[in-house]
Amino acid sequence: MTRGRAGRARPVWLAAAVVLGLATARVARPALGPRYGGELRVALADPPATLDPAVPHSLTQRLLSRLVHATLVDVDEEGRPRPALAQAWATAAEGREWTLRMAPASFHDGAPVSAADALRALRRFLRSDSVAAGRLSRGLDGGEAFRRGTTDALPGLGAPDENRLVLRFRRAGALPLAPLSSPAAAVVSARGSGAGPFAPTTPLSPRGLSATAFGGHVAGRPFLDVVRLAVVPALAAEGGLRADVTAGAPGLGPAGGLLLLLLDPAAAPFHDPRARRLAAATVDRGELRRHFLSGGEPAEVLLAPWLLPPAPKPSAGGPGRSDPTALRGRLVLRVASDVPPSASQRIVAHLAALGLDVQASPAPAAAALGATGQARLVVWYPEVAEAGLALEELAELAGSPAEVHAVLDAADAERDADRRRADLLRAEEALRDAHVLVPLARVPLALSSRPGVHGLRVTASGTLAAEDAWIEP
Amino acid sequence: MNGASRESGHHGHGLRGRLLAAFVLVAVPPLLLFAVFVVALVTARLERSARQRVEQGLDASRRRVAVLRAQAEEAVGAIAREPALTRWLAAEAVPNAAADAAERPGLPLVEVIDGSRRVLWSRHWRAGIGLPDRDREVPGSPEFRWVTVGEGYGSAERLAVMASAATTWAGAPVVVRGGFPLDGDLMAEWSDLMGAEVALRDTARGRWVARPGSPLAAADLPFTPAWHEGTSDLGGTLYRWSAAPLAPSVWVVAAMPHTLLSEVTGGVRWLTVAVAALALLAALGTALLLSGRIAGPVRALAQRARGVGAGDLEGSVALEAPDEVGDLARAFAAMTEELRVSRERLMQAERVAAWREMARRLAHELKNPIFPIQLSIETLRRALGQDGEDAARFQALFRESSDTILEELGALRAIVEEFSQFARMPPPRLGPTDLNEVVERVLSLYHARAGSARIETALGARLPTVAADRDLIARALGNLVANALEAMPEGGTLAVRTQAVPEGVALEVSDTGPGLTEEQRTRLFTPYYTTKKGGTGLGLAIVQGIVSDHGGRIEVASAPGTGTTFTLVLPRGAIIPSVETRSHADQ
Repeated sequence: MTRGRAGRARPVWLAAAVVLGLATARVARPALGPRYGGELRVALADPPATLDPAVPHSLTQRLLSRLVHATLVDVDEEGRPRPALAQAWATAAEGREWTLRMAPASFHDGAPVSAADALRALRRFLRSDSVAAGRLSRGLDGGEAFRRGTTDALPGLGAPDENRLVLRFRRAGALPLAPLSSPAAAVVSARGSGAGPFAPTTPLSPRGLSATAFGGHVAGRPFLDVVRLAVVPALAAEGGLRADVTAGAPGLGPAGGLLLLLLDPAAAPFHDPRARRLAAATVDRGELRRHFLSGGEPAEVLLAPWLLPPAPKPSAGGPGRSDPTALRGRLVLRVASDVPPSASQRIVAHLAALGLDVQASPAPAAAALGATGQARLVVWYPEVAEAGLALEELAELAGSPAEVHAVLDAADAERDADRRRADLLRAEEALRDAHVLVPLARVPLALSSRPGVHGLRVTASGTLAAEDAWIEP
Repeated sequence: MNGASRESGHHGHGLRGRLLAAFVLVAVPPLLLFAVFVVALVTARLERSARQRVEQGLDASRRRVAVLRAQAEEAVGAIAREPALTRWLAAEAVPNAAADAAERPGLPLVEVIDGSRRVLWSRHWRAGIGLPDRDREVPGSPEFRWVTVGEGYGSAERLAVMASAATTWAGAPVVVRGGFPLDGDLMAEWSDLMGAEVALRDTARGRWVARPGSPLAAADLPFTPAWHEGTSDLGGTLYRWSAAPLAPSVWVVAAMPHTLLSEVTGGVRWLTVAVAALALLAALGTALLLSGRIAGPVRALAQRARGVGAGDLEGSVALEAPDEVGDLARAFAAMTEELRVSRERLMQAERVAAWREMARRLAHELKNPIFPIQLSIETLRRALGQDGEDAARFQALFRESSDTILEELGALRAIVEEFSQFARMPPPRLGPTDLNEVVERVLSLYHARAGSARIETALGARLPTVAADRDLIARALGNLVANALEAMPEGGTLAVRTQAVPEGVALEVSDTGPGLTEEQRTRLFTPYYTTKKGGTGLGLAIVQGIVSDHGGRIEVASAPGTGTTFTLVLPRGAIIPSVETRSHADQ
């Protein structure tokens, strides 16, 4: 096989990956540059659940979504589409019709990626539980009826030929293609094969998965030969697999996840807005970051600055101390397993200082968002790294307040960047002021790599991008 | 088994039974006492051992807590004095620098509390730094505190033995507090070491500190300062427990499953009962053996004695035992031998006497006819020798003398015949016999000879038919009737009665004659004994022989002046079914 990378579009990620690799290398030995070959061994605690495209809720699922699958577009920091399986696009009808041209690519089973495959993937995506799919369905002509299942007709989506996919919106929007970058919108072949940079070579099992570099990937063959995901217990059985990437400690990339405290406004004591405000204000975020979150950053707002630059003065939620006898009663706090225990203990201590009898119980990361309890503590990653969609997702978590959705709808229709940003800030402020979602800190993905591993990066959605990774010999 | 055998067996079993009973009475009470004593002793020892273990566990726990407290005081004092405290607290200003303090060996629980009761630094609850201190003293026991420790995703309360020391930091007063957790892990360690469930109880808060899964964790023991031991059902298992105060509100409790004690005592009880049962069986076996060895010779001696009593002096008892029973057997054998020799001597003497009597009788009987014969012959010889005796007179004399001789020869012949008959008495030929019919036939022969005597009969109705030789019975009855008539030459009443009696059929012949003296009555059936002139003395002997040959008996009741009554009793064995029944049986 020819390992040529001629003609490939290597965006700024390559340079960033090299820089990141150099930054994470502990051994002060100059890297000679990217090289082909090698096996990247990733040790994980949780076994993968499925290979099908879906909204990732666990670390393993996030890793798999980007390794095995590819979407029509990616998004940049501002939510603007970047070419992926769709290599170019054009608008018509005053921004209401978008035509995407498919890039020459193929699935792992050898079938070429066609517009029909993309059409099938998007129809499935529109009926998934993805928040981004909800946003897309509301914009597409006939999308809402199709999503509800009242009809199979979807006039807003069509594939006039093998290379073109047409999306017709009811109105022009700011970033109508952003939902297409959701991992749940990944394009798979009729036989279920993905089109990501690595093709699975072993069946998905509780022990893990092996995937080999896929030469037909739209961005060209990855540098690595093999990526092997191994569940931690299996490592011991294999005689001590020395992992290149391990879960549990942060180290790969900047803080992208949001340590989020969700208070149930329907249950005591947080049915009282004053209790929520008290709980939101009681956590000293500076102390939390300083002593209890390695690599974290205080979060006073819900979205990371690179998604939505904050307003100059946050309206509420500043650090402070509260009356320790303000609240009474028992509080069941469900804590996602990917929350650092030290941070959880600190937050529990703050809540207990309010007078609550806090019972912290763990929940699987994939299920923590849907867990029951008066409060939940999770590390939240947006499904799509775009501010509007991220706020849409947060609004869902907060119980879909109507005023927030109205503002978000307005922002979605706003094509002026500044006014749209103002709308989004207003929506974020409204969500934050309800104190149902309490941002505490931004935390990095709990993955670290050993020295000598370069080019691995974590996207703003918390997915691991390994297509540009390489390993020193 | 005949009566003698039954008697023998009864006596044998009686002695054996009494011996066995004696053995049981002697062996069982000690065995039972032994079993009860052993079980009680072992149970008491085990219970005392269990109690001692529990008490030792409590003492060890108290000592261990005291040691921990002393260590905590020493370590906390050292921490308060050394400059490291300042470094630790200053390190809090640097992110993650507190790990330095966490690496220090020594106290697992260390915290510094400022004057406003906020946690300046904590080793065990880093999440609480800067927050209000949440530790709580156990009421009345300042050395015991419920401290908050970081655990999992939150925190937990742990009972701890703590010491504190006041010092200053940055010019402000602070308190250094440190100690050791008295948690479930420690309780598990103590429980494993002591072989008992060990737990702590905060009576003020009603909380247990126990190893995971300990039955004490959910127990509600009723101990008070006055009563701190007992037995309680914990989770379905009976536990013996004991408690000791570590502080007014903190108790250490040790418990042992009572089932263990029950199992051991149950095993001992079973073993003791088994040993006692085996011993009892052995005692019974021994008793059976010994009683057999004792009662056997006694029973043989008793049987032999009964044989001797029945006239059997020929047998012997083969006992060679060297003990008292052997002496008794040997004495008995000697006595039997003596008896046998004596009887032989007696029999020999009796035979001699009998022969003498026989000779005397024969001589007497024969002498009577011989004398007339001699006189007749001498008369004839004298007549023949005298001259002048006319022939006519001689002939008359000869005729008279020869008649006398012939008559006496006839008497001699009769005597000889009677003796001959007595000597060759035929065996009875048994057949169905109606005794009343025999009586009537015999009496019909004697009515003519009764003379002035009156004959009365009283024959029983529905008299059962007996198996008898009717000719012999008739002869016996004839002898009795003849004797009775001869006893009443002047007249009287002869009464003949038949009746059914429990043991057979009775035939009674009585007269109103002069009766018999005591001597006559005792010698009545002796052969050749007679009180009558010309009697042979064989009549009643023949009657007794006939009755004896039929398996019956003969009795006589008489006294001088009251007459005599003979009673023949033919036993039931001689009774046979009625003719109809017999005929039916013969078909």
